[in-house]
Amino acid sequence: MRILDLTIKDLRQLVRDWKTALFLVIMPILFTLLFGFAFGGFGGGAQDPRLPVGFIDQDRSSSSASLLRLLDQSGTLRPVLLEGQEADPERAERKVQAGDLAAVVIVPASYGDRLLAGEMIPLRVLLDESEPAGLTARREIQTAALRLAGAAEIARLSAQAYEAQARFADGLARRQFLAEAVDRAIQAWQEPPLTMLKTESKAMEANPIMQSGFSHASPSMMVQFSIAGLIGAATILVSERKSRALRRLLTTAISRPQIILGHYLAMFLMIIIQFVILIAFGQLLGVPYLRQPLAVALVMAATAAWTAALGLLIGVLAKTEEQTIIYSLIPMFVLSGVGGAWVPLEFTSQTFQTIGHLLPTAWAMDGFENLVIRGLGIESVLQPVAIMSAYAVGLFALAAWRFRFE
Amino acid sequence: MNGQPAIQVRDLHKRFGDLHAVKGISFTVPAGQIFSLLGPNGAGKSTTISILSCLLQPTSGDALVMGHSVQREPMAVKAAIGVVPQEIALYEDLSARENLDFWGKMVGLRGAALRQRVDEVLEIIGLADRQKGRVAKFSGGMKRRLNIGIALLHRPQVIIMDEPTVGIDPQTRRNILDSVKELNRQGMTVLYTTHYMEEAQELSDQIAIMDQGRIIAQGTHQDLVQIVGELDRVDLTLNALPDWVTDRWQQIPGVQKVIVGAPSHPQATDGERTVTLLVDDSNLVLPRLFESATQAGVRITSVTIQEPNLEAVFLHLTGRALRDE
Ligand SMILES: Nc1ncnc2c1ncn2[C@@H]1O[C@H](COP(=O)(O)OP(=O)(O)OP(=O)(O)O)[C@@H](O)[C@H]1O
Ligand SMILES: [Mg+2]
Repeated sequence: MRILDLTIKDLRQLVRDWKTALFLVIMPILFTLLFGFAFGGFGGGAQDPRLPVGFIDQDRSSSSASLLRLLDQSGTLRPVLLEGQEADPERAERKVQAGDLAAVVIVPASYGDRLLAGEMIPLRVLLDESEPAGLTARREIQTAALRLAGAAEIARLSAQAYEAQARFADGLARRQFLAEAVDRAIQAWQEPPLTMLKTESKAMEANPIMQSGFSHASPSMMVQFSIAGLIGAATILVSERKSRALRRLLTTAISRPQIILGHYLAMFLMIIIQFVILIAFGQLLGVPYLRQPLAVALVMAATAAWTAALGLLIGVLAKTEEQTIIYSLIPMFVLSGVGGAWVPLEFTSQTFQTIGHLLPTAWAMDGFENLVIRGLGIESVLQPVAIMSAYAVGLFALAAWRFRFE
Repeated sequence: MNGQPAIQVRDLHKRFGDLHAVKGISFTVPAGQIFSLLGPNGAGKSTTISILSCLLQPTSGDALVMGHSVQREPMAVKAAIGVVPQEIALYEDLSARENLDFWGKMVGLRGAALRQRVDEVLEIIGLADRQKGRVAKFSGGMKRRLNIGIALLHRPQVIIMDEPTVGIDPQTRRNILDSVKELNRQGMTVLYTTHYMEEAQELSDQIAIMDQGRIIAQGTHQDLVQIVGELDRVDLTLNALPDWVTDRWQQIPGVQKVIVGAPSHPQATDGERTVTLLVDDSNLVLPRLFESATQAGVRITSVTIQEPNLEAVFLHLTGRALRDE
């Protein structure tokens, strides 16, 4: 009970400070609007966050059609079929340079035939490797091409196996057999049998849903400003210690662990209230949080759990009210920037993604975006939630260990 | 409980690493008294009080509050005492009433009992009509009163105050001294620390003089002043200070103690030095002092004579002044 009394006291102090509302609600709403409109906002065509990739088909075989489908299914790329005048490679290259396209894939003539004949032939890909979008596109195109080559290999082998026993009626029948085998192989890849231990990348399972430009901005600003909002809560802790009220608490019946828990709970509730407001706002902007209310609540609670523990740690480490600002803003910038709250991590290099996922923000973003962008179910947030909970425990333990009463 | 002392301190020691802050002190505060710990900065007053309020563990020895050991029954001790810290340990962004509500809950009050007690305390500290005001907007004196009020919420039998008058204006100080007396009149035992001898003298039934972790004298004001007996204290300002002063003046009949440079004259300007003497009868000694000064060509620029007081006692026992202002 005394824990809650302390929590309520903290929350009351927070409400008294106008800066609380500014950091917790007003700024994230303004930034969500700003970035949301920058990413396309309510607009029509720009709603697809996938990278546009030009596709010039000089082959027009069933294999090139399969490649186009594979690219489309990558979840990260949005292939744009370039035809007629548009199919001019030089013209397409200019579009890459202008940033209108992340890359251009040129499928050379007789690509399909030679592939099915067992030849490894390169695709022509135009892209700018100095751009993260270019790197992402290259990786995805490579994956698709390898997958197609693999499927072609399987098809070729099964055709040979067939020919060992029977003969194809004619060339057309053989071609049809091969095309079908390629598709089957690709499909089999997408629906791996249970015995396959390696799971496919998220992007392959994903079922991208219609989304607004706010689908990234809303969760990212929410995560970022939950850290900024720690300034106020940590300041309460610092001034309580400086005024010696914290020491005075020790002369009353409340125990040390109760004091720590009470403050932690106040920060946790503050962030939950912030999230509820911002999620309601995001929903109004068309971000489909309510499609998976339970899963969203899980991610929200896990995110609040580690953020509050971070807030406690800031309150413990900062010696003055001014220091709480620095101690909050530095982790806010690092955690948001590297953790994918500014640029979605899937648009960055593999190395950057790996580093990003050392930070809890990346898992918070994964959790929210699995739900509102990739349209995945509750099972997709279990890993992020578990990892964030581990962060919460670690940060809390650190804060409790370093907690100073004077 | 009749006759049981409110506080018993027995051979209490506290070390902070190498620093021996409290070196085996013992004292007893009978219930219903005002007891002062008087001592200069660093004497160990706050350390002693922190042990009594269960904020610090003694290195050895024990203290009993209302018969409860601070080591073995800290909860019972906390329930029996109200601690008024030296600092304004409040939440300035909350109102007076919200502060009292919160601190009341921390000592276990709830509901109607809490509301009623908060009303009573607001009356006692004279803030009933300002209860909704934010503490940040209060004057220093109002904050001090609220700081005391918080310690009264759970009706403690003993109230412990650590230098509550440091750095406040004379009017607020008067106010606080009066409320201490009033609380005591209502039956509370008060343990008060200060380095102002006037406060100790005015308030206390008993005084313990502390210095460098020890109690160097203890008793009523009368008892303590007896230590310096009928001695007068003479403060002189000289325009120069030859080395022989101490030795030669010490030999003058009737001079008990000569202390050079006791800084009790803040107005002493450059080159001027002060000398304080404890003497049997200033009327007899003063002419001899002037005579000896004149012989040596030293001018005495001012003379103050004081009746025996605690300051003189401290000076007599330690050779130093109580205040180093
Ligand atoms: N937590 C601590 N750690 C180390 N040393 C301490 C600690 N608390 C007090 N001291 C030292 O113990 C000695 C006694 O300090 P204490 O605060 O008890 O003195 P005081 O009589 O209250 O003085 P003041 O009038 O300045 O408040 C001082 O030398 C002080 O520096
Ligand atoms: Mg002190």
